[in-house]
Order: sequence, then C-alpha cells, then structure tokens
Amino acid sequence: FVAFYILQYYITVILKFASVGKSCLLLQFTDKRFQPVHDLTIGVEFGARMITIDGKQIKLQIWDTAGQESFRSITRSYYRGAAGALLVYDITRRDTFNHLTTWLEDARQHSNSNMVIMLIGNKSDLESRREVKKEEGEAFAREHGLIFMETSAKTASNVEEAFINTAKEIYEKIQEGVFDINNEANGIKIGPQHAATNSSLAGGQGGQQAGGGCC
Amino acid sequence: MAAFLQWRRFVFFDRETVKDPIENGKNFILPNGISACDSGRGHIVLGDILIWFLTRSLQLSSFQAYKLRVTHLFQLKQHSILVSVGQDEHGINPLVKVWNTDKRDSGSPLCTRIFPAIPGNKPTEVSCLSVHENLNFMAIGFTDGSVVLTKGDITRDRHSKTLTLHEGNSPVTGLAFRQAGKVTHLFVVNLEKVQCYTLSVKEYPRLELDTHGCALRCSALTDPSQDSQFIVAGNECVYLYQPDERGPCFAFDGHKILVHWHRGYLLLLTQDSKSPNNKETSPTEKHVLTIYDLDNKFIAYSAAFDDIIDVLAEWGSFYILTRDGKMFVLQEKDTQTKLEMLFKKNLFVMAINLAKSQHLDKDGLSEIFRQYGDHLYVKGDHDGAIQQYIRTIGKLEPSYVIRKFLDAQRIHNLTAYLQALHRQSLANADHTTLLLNCYTKLKDSSKLEEFIKSSESEVHFDVEIAIKVLRQAGYHSHAVFLAEKHAHHEWYLKIQLEDLKNYQEALRYIGRLPFEQAETNMKHYGKTLMHHVPESTTVLLKKLCTDYHVVPCSVEGAYDLCSSGNLWLQANSEEFIPIFANNPRELHAFLEHMIKVEPFSPQGVYDTLLELRLQDWAHEQDPEKKEVLQRAALSLLRSDNTVFDKALVLCQMHSFKEGVLYLYEKGKLYQQIMHYHMQNEEYSKVVEACKHYGNQEVCLWEQALGYFARKEEDCKAYISEVLQHIDLNNLMPPLLVVQTLAHNSTATLSVIKDYLINKLQRESQQIEEDERKIRQYREETANLRSEIQELRTSAKIFQKTKCTMCNSPLELPSVHFLCGHSFHQHCFESYAESEAECPTCTPENRKVMDMLRAQDQKRDLHDHFNRQLRGSNDGFSVVADYFGRGVFNKLTLITDPPGAKAGPGSLEADLQRDLLIHTKRNV
Repeated sequence: FVAFYILQYYITVILKFASVGKSCLLLQFTDKRFQPVHDLTIGVEFGARMITIDGKQIKLQIWDTAGQESFRSITRSYYRGAAGALLVYDITRRDTFNHLTTWLEDARQHSNSNMVIMLIGNKSDLESRREVKKEEGEAFAREHGLIFMETSAKTASNVEEAFINTAKEIYEKIQEGVFDINNEANGIKIGPQHAATNSSLAGGQGGQQAGGGCC
Repeated sequence: MAAFLQWRRFVFFDRETVKDPIENGKNFILPNGISACDSGRGHIVLGDILIWFLTRSLQLSSFQAYKLRVTHLFQLKQHSILVSVGQDEHGINPLVKVWNTDKRDSGSPLCTRIFPAIPGNKPTEVSCLSVHENLNFMAIGFTDGSVVLTKGDITRDRHSKTLTLHEGNSPVTGLAFRQAGKVTHLFVVNLEKVQCYTLSVKEYPRLELDTHGCALRCSALTDPSQDSQFIVAGNECVYLYQPDERGPCFAFDGHKILVHWHRGYLLLLTQDSKSPNNKETSPTEKHVLTIYDLDNKFIAYSAAFDDIIDVLAEWGSFYILTRDGKMFVLQEKDTQTKLEMLFKKNLFVMAINLAKSQHLDKDGLSEIFRQYGDHLYVKGDHDGAIQQYIRTIGKLEPSYVIRKFLDAQRIHNLTAYLQALHRQSLANADHTTLLLNCYTKLKDSSKLEEFIKSSESEVHFDVEIAIKVLRQAGYHSHAVFLAEKHAHHEWYLKIQLEDLKNYQEALRYIGRLPFEQAETNMKHYGKTLMHHVPESTTVLLKKLCTDYHVVPCSVEGAYDLCSSGNLWLQANSEEFIPIFANNPRELHAFLEHMIKVEPFSPQGVYDTLLELRLQDWAHEQDPEKKEVLQRAALSLLRSDNTVFDKALVLCQMHSFKEGVLYLYEKGKLYQQIMHYHMQNEEYSKVVEACKHYGNQEVCLWEQALGYFARKEEDCKAYISEVLQHIDLNNLMPPLLVVQTLAHNSTATLSVIKDYLINKLQRESQQIEEDERKIRQYREETANLRSEIQELRTSAKIFQKTKCTMCNSPLELPSVHFLCGHSFHQHCFESYAESEAECPTCTPENRKVMDMLRAQDQKRDLHDHFNRQLRGSNDGFSVVADYFGRGVFNKLTLITDPPGAKAGPGSLEADLQRDLLIHTKRNV
C-alpha cells in the first residue's frame, strides 16, 4: 500500500510577551534557518515540508498557532483535523511550563482523541538560564502520555527529530488502524495527485502549548 | 490589547485628495450614486445609471448601459472587455451585458452580448460576479445561494454553455477564479461556507474548505506570486485558502466591509470600532482602511475615511472613492524612503525583508546589512552585528568591519567574519594572517584545524603566511599539516625539526621527496637528524647515495625521476660526510656501505673511512679485534683509493705503523722508512730496511751506520752487520767509516777491527796485485823494445818451413813477414787483404788500432764523462780512466805505412801504445 500522506498539525504559541520559540522551531524545520527576531504570531501561521518515512513520501503540514489567550478561539478550530501536535514550553521560563496543563486540556478537548502529542522543551541551548529541569519535563510527559524531547531552534538540535518522530508516531497509528484514513477529520489525507490507493492525511490536530506566562 | 496584538504600523503611503484638473484648488467630484465600480485597462469604471469611464487625466465620459441602473461591473485586466450586470426594467430581472471597450458603436462601447442572469427558473438578485481572464469562464453568484457558470467564449451567445453550479440557501458573497498551470479552480464563498470547485476536472468536484463564510465583498484572491490564495475576511480573522486546504489565518479584528488584494498588499476596510455610536449623529459612516503587507508582517498604511464606496488600484496608486463624491489617492513611497523610515526605528530585519520582497539590488541590501550591523554594534550586540556584517561580504570593504572589531577586542566575532570572508574566497593574505592569529589567540585549535583542512579542493589563503603565523603561534602540528599538504618542504622540515622535534617524521618525509629536494634537505638538516635518529638517517642517506626511489604518489609534486635515468639519482656521498660529525659509528656504516655498493666512490669517502678505521683501531683494546681492524685499514690503503698525503698524515697521526711503512714503501721513501725505524729504535728493522732497500738507495747503509754510531747503546752486532754490507759493497771509504764511528763513545775498536783488518788486507792485496802487474807490464815492454830493436838492427831469418796459411811445406814462391809468418804466395794472395800486412796478424792489429781510435774519439765527449763521473760511486777511477785515455796529452796513433821506415820518434809511440794496453787491462 503505497502512501502519500499529508499530516497536518499545529503548534500553538502561547505567550504574550515572548514566544517559547514555536515559530522559530517551525522556521528551523521548514527553512533550516533561525531568525531570532520574530514578530509575534497573530493568528495561525503555516509551513509544510516533505519527509520520507518507511520509504513513503509524506507531506507534513504544520500550523503554527498563536499562543495568546485572546486567540484561543481562533486556534482551537485548528486543533480539529490535526493528527499530531507539538506542545512547546520554554525551559528558561517556568511559567510556560506551569501552564502546560491548561493547554493540554484545551487541546485534548477540541481534538481527535487519537492525536499524537509531543512535549517539547525548547531553548535547550540556554542551559545557563534553565529553570525547568529535563526530568520535570519527562515526568510531565509520562504522566500525561506524551512523547518528550528538548530542542533548540537556534542550534537546530533535535528540531528535525521532534517533527519527524511525531510524524512517525502518527504513521504507526495509521498502520495500526487507529486512524481512519478516510475521515478527514482525523487530519490525514491521501495525496490527491497520486494513485487512488494513496492515502493521506491531514491530520492535525493540535494545539498544544507550552507554557504560559501572562501579562 | 488590540493595539498590542497588531503588527507594526507604518505610513508607506502618502494620501492626497484628488483635485479637479480644471478648476484649481477644488476637489474632484465623482458622479453621485455610484452603485458599482472597477478599474483596469487605464481607466476607472463607475456605474450608476450610466457607465462612466474616468481616465488618468480625470476626464469623465459615460454612456447609457441600462435603462434603470448598473449593479455590478467587472473590468478584465488583460482584455478590453467590460462585463456589467444591471437592470433595464423594474422587478428582478438582471441582465448581463458584455462590452468591448475598444470598439465603438455610435459613441458607446460595442455591446457584444446580452443575456439574462437567471439561475434555474426563478429570477433572483445577482450578488456577485467574476470573469476568468481567459474569457472562457464567467461566474455569477445569486442571493439564493446558486452560482451560474458560463463556459465558453463569454463574449458571444453561441459558443457558451451555461449551467448552475451551486445550490444552497446562503447567499453567495464572493467568487474568484484561480488559474494555476492548466488547473482552474473557482472559489465560492457564502455566508456559511468556503468551497472550491475544480473546473478542469469533469463534473467539477467540490471541496469544502471551511465552515464559516464572509460578507459580501469580503473576499479576494492574492497575486500569483502569493500562490493565488483565496482570502476570506471573517469578523475575527482573515483566512487564506489553497484550493485544497486551509492556509494561515490572521487575527485582524473588526467588522470587515471590504477586502481587496492589490500589488502585494491586503487592503482591508473595517468599520471604525471606536465610533460605532456616532452613526446617529453623523450622516456618514466612518471607515478604517488598513493596508497590510502579509509577507513582511506589517501595516503599510492605516487611516480613517468617511464612508468609502470602494478602493481601486490603477495607474500605480490606490484610489479611494467615498460616498460624498471625493476621491483620494494613496501614493506609495519609494523603497528608499520606506527603508529609511525603518532604519529610523531600527527595524532592520523588517527592512531587509522588505528590500528583498521589493527586489532591491545587492548593493542596496548590503547597505542595509551594514546599517543593521552598525546598529547592533553600537547597541553592544556584537554577535548579532557580525552576522549582519557577514552578509555584506562582497560589497562592503572588509577593513571597515575588521577595524571595528579589532578595536572592540571582539576576537570571537572577528573570527566569524574572517571565516565567512575566506569561505567566499574574498580574503587576502592579511585576512588570513588575522584569522589565524584569531584562532591562535582563542586557542581554538579545532576550528583552526577545520579551517586548514576544510579547504581540500581550493585554497582560499596564502599558504606560506598561514604557515608562518601558525608556527609563530606555536600551532606546529597545524603548520606542518599545511606545509605537507601544499608541498612546502622547507617549512615542513623546519617546523618538524626545529619546533616539533619529530625527527622520525621529518626523515620519513624527506624520504618521500623527489630526489633533488631530498638531497638538498638532507644536506641542510642532516646533522640534526643524525644527531637524533642516526640509524634511520643513515639508511636514508645510503639510499640517497645509491638508488633513491621516490615512494610513488605519496608527496604532492613528486615526479618520477627513476625512469628517466638512475644516474641522476645518486647523490655524491662525499658531500654527506660532514653530517656524520660526532657519530663515527654511523659514518662508518655509511661509508662501508658506500664502498661496498659503489666501488668508484669519491676519494673523500675512502679517506674518511680510513680515518675512521684508524681511529677504531687506535682505540681498540682487544688485540684480536685490533688485528682485524688493522687488516681492514691496510686493505683500504692497498685499495689505492686514498689520497697518499692524507693517508700518510692519518697513519702518522694514529701511529699506524704498518700503514705508514706501507705508504713509505709505496712512495719509495726508503729513507723515511729507515728513519721511522730509527725513531722507534728498532735496530733489527733498520738493518732489515737497509737490506731491503739498500739496492735502491745505497746511502741507507751509511745512514744506518751513522745512526748506530750515534747510539749510545751497545749495538755492535748491528754495526758490524752494517759494516759488512758497506764493506761488501764498498759503499764508504774506510776513513769515513772510522770517522763516523768515532762519534760513538761506546763503539770500541773491536767493532771495527775486523772491518779494518779486512779492509787493509784487501788493500794490500790490491797493491800487491798492482805491483805484480806493473812488473809484468814492464817486462813485456822490455821484451817488445828489444824485439823492435832487433828488428831494426839485425837481419831477420825466415826459417819457416811451413805456410802459416795452409800449413803445408813452403814452396816458392813464398811471402815472408817480419812478424815471422810465411805463406805460399798463392795462399797469401787468396787470403791477404792487403799486400803490406800479414793476414794472420791483421785482425789483432786492427783490434788494437780500433781501440786506439775509439779512445781518441771519446776523449772529447765531455757530457759522457760528466755522466759517468756522476753515476759512478768512485769518481776517482773515472777520472783516472780518462786520464789514461790521454785526455791531457794527445795520443797519436802510429801505423807503419807500407814500405815506410819508422822514424826515430816512433819508439816513443810504441811505448805509449804499450802503456795503453796495460791501462786497458787494468780496467
């Protein structure tokens, strides 16, 4: 079964003052560059990249959602139909970690229950300013059944892995039949330009979030 | 909060009110009651009852298109085709008219087609209209939710088909055709949904993109450069759609009234939220026009206007039409002005993005990067600044940047910059030096390594300078690496030897160089190498001097000389000898090897080897070994390859007796040999030497005698032996012998007694002998005299009876001679040579005569005399001999002329002849 999958998922940007780096993560993944000065995300941004898993070409469509409370209603609509999500917090800001629970609940509530969620502790390059220990992130992930990883959008460390692992996880769930590939609400869709046997998916769901600071 | 969540706001447009061109100072007034408008093809099209064309010079012209009113207008951008919807009669009865504005029909444009817009059989209000630029599709949306699609040439009735596409309850609020390659899509939005039809596929499949819609006029299509996305402005957000999926969304708040996309900008008209309550008081609504740059995420313009009818883009500007008949123009500022505004606010990133999207040239961009860099630099963000400066490489003079960072002691940043410079191959030697210095200052050897090694294919820098710098900084291994890679042998060896002290490696390196270089370098560094790694050095030298082969391909630039002739490849071994100073053992090995493989080695080799062997010999204690060494040295001497003088000096220096003697002998220096023995007081050897060489040089004996004579010791045995020889060979007059021996205080008479006695005896014997001879000669002379006398005075009686010749009895006729011989005449005649002489006596006589004549002749050959005198060891006898030959008195030869009588003086002559004969005998 040949497959051309399109997986869609979102990342939410949560903070009002400074981002935890979701947009940077996305930029690093899709464009392989790092732009430290980044305007804050208003609404939802969008990126796509082709990857290959198990010999199959898969197009990942990634939604980068705004993190502010005021955009929550907008971004919620993007949770629906996503197959996976990256929940990002900033390891140098404990407040972003503390808000994870809220965002996670919100995401679970508005998304497909099978959505794969990965917890990301970003800015791992700023070890000296770390406020959230890696162990804490791992513990949180275990407790809520998430995959965990620390990344640095600046040095590109683990960025690739974070997205690809999420995509793999989704792929495995498809193979296991957890996702109904014919239901677009799952965020997975067969590539339109391929043979009929292709299936793909848009999946996406997601939002996640990471930390939260409030103003 | 709303303000905070907005993008940055700029004023990139200048707003002006359009003035009437004819009446100065007065605003231009639009026709009243405009119900539809559009622009394109160089004019703005307005519709009320009439259709108006507004030209750039603000000339208005109009024609009557409908009897009642115009509701929609669509001006194609690539064709002079205008499509309008309007009503000719009351009631719901929309008519579509297609105008060709290029063709005129009695003053108004040519109307090419008229048809009623009715979906199904119920007439409904038209809500929107869109025409594909290829003129093959036209879509009309209705308030009852249906869309009528006209396919085929829309300008003519005959060639087009009409069908109803979409049925729904919600009024259609927006339509847009999207052409991407050969695929045509139609976006349809109503109040509840966003949908997309694919028109290039049969059956026109439909895809629902979203579950919310938008109001009338709140949708648009972006430029193809923006991927021709469909823009839908909901109340909370502005959403973008691809034909098959959702795209990003932007949270632009406010009640949207109008959305347009012109030239890369999103134009959004919203109701002024600040004064919603003023509606009652003010007759006109307040609208806010915001122009967004979605790519660069900023607001290019934002201002409030009174009740805007529409915003149109034409003639390079935006025109805003308001309900009160005014027209405003928004003139975009030029890029430079915009950038300067951004610079003022230090928004460099945005400036860069903007410049890029406006396709600014490289110079311009680099200027921005520089300004950004300067800004960051001033702010103290050196890391950021250098990033920007790096992007100016190629345009900005590097020294500008370098100076800045040098002043600031920001080596780290400087390094990054210089690295980038090198990567782009724009660095000069100074830059390289600086970079390497930076690395070394930073102690960043890994980077250094990377820098050096990364440039596999191309070299961006001056290798020699790099090596120098590295070496100075103590990064020897790096320098060495560079040197090796770029075949700077001199440097390589210098560093390897002087700094790294890695002699083995250096040696190995030399061993891989081409011959000439290997030779030169070996001469240069040989001593050092020999000092530290003698064995390997020797091996290499041996190779170098015999059959040097470059290990193929191991060193860059190595070329194969081997094939071109081995003659070239042998170094002169002599030249390497100095290298071995202080290391005789290796030198020894080397020389031995050389001599073995190369019999025609230079003399220096042999000399040196000899010296070495002699040294060894001299220092060897073990007699057996010494013996071996001695043989070796001698064999070397015998090989005739050494220089005589040098060898002699060497042998003497080392007191190598055998060698010295051998050499003396070879050089025929017999005296030296004897002196040598004398010095060593080896008497028997002295004697032996005399015996050996006495034949060649007689004076040896005399010297030996003198030597022994001077000796205080008892050496009588030797003296007597010497004397014997002297005696035997008659080498010295006895007087001299006695005189010589008189020096010796110890020599007693007994030593010489035998010699003297012997000598005296012989002397006396000689004297006796001589006297006897004298007597004998005297007697003979007397006999002869008497015979002569007799012949003269008395008669001779011939009594012979037999012929002397034939020995038979004499018969007559016969011939008689005074000498007493008688012959038959016939015998005499047949034998005699002359008649006057006796044939029997003639040979004897002639002999004597010849002798006399010869002596006479020789007498005057002085040269010969001299020679004889010098060559003889007894000059006296020579002189005496000559004296005897009559050197001093003329010797006259007397012959008896036939028939002539000897005169009285002839007696004297006879005497002399006798004397002569006697003398001869004596000799």
